[in-house]
Amino acid sequence: MEGAIPGFRKELVSKLLHLHFKDDKTRVSGDALHLLAELLKIFVVEAAIRSVRQAQAEDLTQVDVDQLEKVLPQLLLDF
Amino acid sequence: EQPEFSYRQRLKAAVHYTAGCLCEEVASDKEVQFSRQTIAAISELTFRQCENFARDLEMFARHARRSTINTEDVKLLARRNHSLLKYITEKNEEITQCNLER
Repeated sequence: MEGAIPGFRKELVSKLLHLHFKDDKTRVSGDALHLLAELLKIFVVEAAIRSVRQAQAEDLTQVDVDQLEKVLPQLLLDF
Repeated sequence: EQPEFSYRQRLKAAVHYTAGCLCEEVASDKEVQFSRQTIAAISELTFRQCENFARDLEMFARHARRSTINTEDVKLLARRNHSLLKYITEKNEEITQCNLER
């Protein structure tokens, strides 16, 4: 199953970064892009799992924005 | 300004797609459902988080007098979160190993 898990494409990560660089000369190595794609995946999955945990604590079967909002501050502190 | 706006929107859409796939994985694994708004909020969050990451990475590289961001800079991003740093370090070694084999 490991290989089947979708993730962020390196091209996308590269474009997202270049959108915010202050200096046009800034480059990113291929390995760094790969690692950053992994980091972004963890970020999304953490956001999802923490919201699920919050929903379960509230006995809900659907995760809504309210649950995400509650776990958001700690999520942002952790990244 | 119009073309830049749509380029941004296209990148956002790509982030939204990937975030949607990942949330889908979590949903089927945990047997819950995510509302569409939640997935949209997670993608928006991720898109904005990229801005912080990009700024930090650029500064870390410049701090080391480099113009190319490398994996050491990415590891610095995760410095405050021990389990995240451990995971990222392991992944980095995996990637290096892959490159050596190639």
